[in-house]
Amino acid sequence: MEFSELIRTGQAQAELLRGPEMPPLRGTLCVTGHHLLLSPGPQATPDLWLLLLRSVDSIEKRVAGDAGTITLRCKDLRVLQLDIEGVEATLDIARSIEALSSLESVITSFPFFYRPKGLRLGEAWHFHPPERYYKRIARETWSSPLPVPQTRAWRLSEANEDFSLCPSYPRAVIVPRAVDDDALARSARFRQGGRFPVLSYYHAPRGTVLLRSSQPLTGRQKLRCAEDEELLRAVLAEARPGARGFIVDTRSAQAAKQARMTGGGTEAKAAYPGWKRLHRPLERGRPLQESFVRLMEACGDPEQSMDRWLSRLDGCRWLSHVKEALSTACLAAQGMEWEGACILVHGAEGTDSTLLVTSLAQLILDPLSRTMAGFQELIEREWIQAGHPFQLRCAHSAFSHTRPKHEAPIFLLFLDCVWQLGRQFPLSLEFGEGMLLALFDHSYASPFGTFLCNSEKERCLCEVRTRTHSLWSGLNQPKEQRKLRNPLYVPNPLAIWPSVEPQSLRLWQGLFLRWTHPPEPSEVAWEKVWQIATDQKTEGSQPTDSASEPQP
Amino acid sequence: MASAPTSKYNSHSLENESIKRTSRDGVNRDIGEALPRLPGETRITDKEVIYICPFNGPIKGRVYITNYRLYLRSLETDSALILDVPLGVISRIEKMGGATSRGENSYGLDITCKDMRNLRFALKQEGHSRRDMFEILTRYAFPLAHSLPIFAFLNEEKFDVDGWMVYNPVEEYRRQGLPNHHWRITFINKCYELCDTYPALLVVPYRASDDDLRRVAAFRSRNRIPVLSWIHPENKTVIMRCSQPLVGMSGKRNKDDEKYLDVIRETNRQINKLTIYDARPNVNAVANKATGGGYESDDAYHNAELFFLDIHNIHVMRESLKKVKDIVYPNVEESHWLSSLESTHWLEHIKLVLTGAIQVADRVSSGKSSVVVHCSDGWDRTAQLTSLAMLMLDSYYRSIEGFEILVQKEWISFGHKFASRIGHGDKNHADADRSPIFLQFVDCVWQMSKQFPTAFEFNERFLIIILDHLYSCRFGTFLYNCESAREKQKVTERTVSLWSLINSNKDKFKNPFYTKEINRVLYPVASMRHLELWVNYYIRWNPRIKQQQPNPVEQRYMELLALRDEYIKRLEELQLANSPKLSDPSTSPSSPSQMMPHVQTHF
Repeated sequence: MEFSELIRTGQAQAELLRGPEMPPLRGTLCVTGHHLLLSPGPQATPDLWLLLLRSVDSIEKRVAGDAGTITLRCKDLRVLQLDIEGVEATLDIARSIEALSSLESVITSFPFFYRPKGLRLGEAWHFHPPERYYKRIARETWSSPLPVPQTRAWRLSEANEDFSLCPSYPRAVIVPRAVDDDALARSARFRQGGRFPVLSYYHAPRGTVLLRSSQPLTGRQKLRCAEDEELLRAVLAEARPGARGFIVDTRSAQAAKQARMTGGGTEAKAAYPGWKRLHRPLERGRPLQESFVRLMEACGDPEQSMDRWLSRLDGCRWLSHVKEALSTACLAAQGMEWEGACILVHGAEGTDSTLLVTSLAQLILDPLSRTMAGFQELIEREWIQAGHPFQLRCAHSAFSHTRPKHEAPIFLLFLDCVWQLGRQFPLSLEFGEGMLLALFDHSYASPFGTFLCNSEKERCLCEVRTRTHSLWSGLNQPKEQRKLRNPLYVPNPLAIWPSVEPQSLRLWQGLFLRWTHPPEPSEVAWEKVWQIATDQKTEGSQPTDSASEPQP
Repeated sequence: MASAPTSKYNSHSLENESIKRTSRDGVNRDIGEALPRLPGETRITDKEVIYICPFNGPIKGRVYITNYRLYLRSLETDSALILDVPLGVISRIEKMGGATSRGENSYGLDITCKDMRNLRFALKQEGHSRRDMFEILTRYAFPLAHSLPIFAFLNEEKFDVDGWMVYNPVEEYRRQGLPNHHWRITFINKCYELCDTYPALLVVPYRASDDDLRRVAAFRSRNRIPVLSWIHPENKTVIMRCSQPLVGMSGKRNKDDEKYLDVIRETNRQINKLTIYDARPNVNAVANKATGGGYESDDAYHNAELFFLDIHNIHVMRESLKKVKDIVYPNVEESHWLSSLESTHWLEHIKLVLTGAIQVADRVSSGKSSVVVHCSDGWDRTAQLTSLAMLMLDSYYRSIEGFEILVQKEWISFGHKFASRIGHGDKNHADADRSPIFLQFVDCVWQMSKQFPTAFEFNERFLIIILDHLYSCRFGTFLYNCESAREKQKVTERTVSLWSLINSNKDKFKNPFYTKEINRVLYPVASMRHLELWVNYYIRWNPRIKQQQPNPVEQRYMELLALRDEYIKRLEELQLANSPKLSDPSTSPSSPSQMMPHVQTHF
């Protein structure tokens, strides 16, 4: 397929309105295979304005007289207006954008063509997160004062080498040593999508673990699977004699029961001795998407009488979703840290709210995951490799007119929860709001390949790792760091327990009101905080150098 | 906690945990530690009570009552709870339960406080212990009703700096470049004979004689004539404050008042209109005509434009805050929190006050027009508007001392009725004169400091300590309604100023990210989307809202500040020491970074 077939007209004269704060930009508008560009002409400075077509969420065209207007609502929540000369040109450009922005083929997407200077293909890809994580666990168990058998409790299994056990898992997963690959295969058959219980996080201070899976396929007949039961029994046995476990089901008890009608279900008490089930219903799928859409309607409504703002914010329930997600993650973390219990998290497919809970619980408990490198690894391991279907979930953001099918802002909800953690613990995260905003933008539309596809298997088929650049190599360039890091960071070895009361949670203005409010004061402030903090750091590093110097 | 995880996650239970933990190593110290006492504070009584903590349940403790505070220490080994409440904070004391009451802890006292909380104590029914405690508390919490002095007059604290010296009106006006050839300082009110609620020293147009002023005073409510609050350093436009004109039902006019406003207008040649902001809603201004008040009509004042700012009166604000308390204490509203918050209208009132102040500031700064601000009497909404506009326009007021001067000038000296609005030492808790106008102002300042995190020298703690001592009666700063009353009581001689406490301990109240910027006008965004409830003040008693650690940010702030100060000091010392050598450019360390190793050896 050629892009040129989809481009009805290449060029038009246009004016871009950039909001009340900036002057409009005039020039020649061009549609290319992946971009929309506006060039002010040869005499002007190269003040080229560029938009990735992939980031257009919805397009609206209006014509009047011999001119037209196109309103682009972008996936990063920006709204742009283009005034174009000529009715025909307007309609052609609108149609071209529509066609090009909704292309579904992965391998023709921009990341496969993006070749920035200074970056090399294949750089900074986290090729083996499970392997690396396994090494960390091995290190932690060796140095721990726990009894010897426990240090050998886990193994790295390559049973999924060809993705035959579970198409949405990576090639290697961490499982109890006592369970062999055949048993894993049977357990996989007993879990939806083959997502058998695997280790997500090893909590070294208490020697407990966090596992994740999908729902068991008990069905109407209340089927059981001996290998699956054995797997969970082995988890408890190897943690500690008499250890207990909690299964955090992210659906209501009612919904879990109903799932039996369609072949799913939940773990029967009698079949899994030592494990206790807790139901913490988390919203996902369409209700979550609708909540996001309503929130953006409220945020973007210029007419709206401001007296009703708070009840509208309440009504779209976004902050309740934040609260529920955080408190479920806290519950899981609490179980490990205070009870010394093992935790298994799953909902239905185990690719959405499950990952939300396991990744947040790690941020709460694990100081390493709060560093810049650790956070990138966490996202890579717990979201990308763990099979969160980014391509389906992030196909559209809040403005699309098409009826949502698989879209859901679950990753955005995760980023919002992290932002809340950062607000309550301003010193404990090494990355700042800029990092979270960048992740949001790139998860919906990006020149990098990191968030492409729905699973590791698909990424292998498309050769994403060898043919596109990794987002991390882009973000880890020195010039990007000042935007992304938190200047106030001090490593905090403790768990960070957030307050989840509605009074403690805030709307993430930096994201949801990013384009409606001039960011000037906060950006200026950020710059100053950086200055003060770096001044202090250079000072702080001095005493060791000079300590040996004789006093004058 | 063995059975805990099955319950829902609750940050509150973490708080319990931390209380217990601190008690283990803190308990011995606590017993050894005596009741904290200020010089001049005397102990009256102590009693064993059960404190009914709304968050942690009943706690057995011993309560000590002095002439200044109520102090409770837990007697339980697993709790290190301490309550330290100045009696001035108490608004109302009620007995709960009678001789026949059954049920645990149903007999005792319920104390309503002015700072968004209630305290409940259960007492034994035998031995008149409740009656004793009730009487002693009533006596010392409401000294005015018992012909006792307010504690500020007994307080013998000494500080290195004298807070009463912070504000000197002549110096402040001189800082603003006054007097000049348009404006003069007048002593016409030296003995408060022109206006008993104004300060002794006023700034008025050069061309208005003292006789003119007297005639204008007759036409302004409570004689509060238009006087200068602030002058723009460059375009010389001014902010004037006053009370409403006494227009009445018949629509009276006063040539002198009209001429006086015209004289004010003429001091500014850039624009031929004067802007008048009436803080009230239009209908209220009209209604005020019935009681003799009113507003400046177009036909009488043709060179003036009048705008209404729609800010409601003290009664509306009081009721609104009451509703806030209902949803935050003792239990915070869980479901539909934002809708309940909206129904209090508190943030909406904040928005209107800020919007009004932004208009005033913008008119003066960009519109190049002088403005006159008034409401009814010109001591509540007017003070809010002028002081907030000045804070936006003049970076000096954003420093710690500057802010103290602003409060001292626009609020205290210009007769905001602190005694009536707060009810210091007064038992009449339902007095219709009480209203949280000053609190609302401080809330607006907090909202601004949130939006401009580097613009203010002070931090949140500074604002909270001001509010705490607004009620405490430990200092004389907020006592009485006006300067004349304060002078009569010799407040500055007989009491200590709050600024003495703050200024001798300034580091605690500094914002480490403060960057001094001269001439920057701050325009906060007064949209509901950008205002938030000041949780750290209104909900501070609820442990569930707090973070689990004692605010780590603050600790880090202090470190940053200390390092920065130390660095600057060392640098200055070195520059002094090196100054002779500096004449030789080849050997002198020219950049601060080169000096650093020397600086650091002192650490």
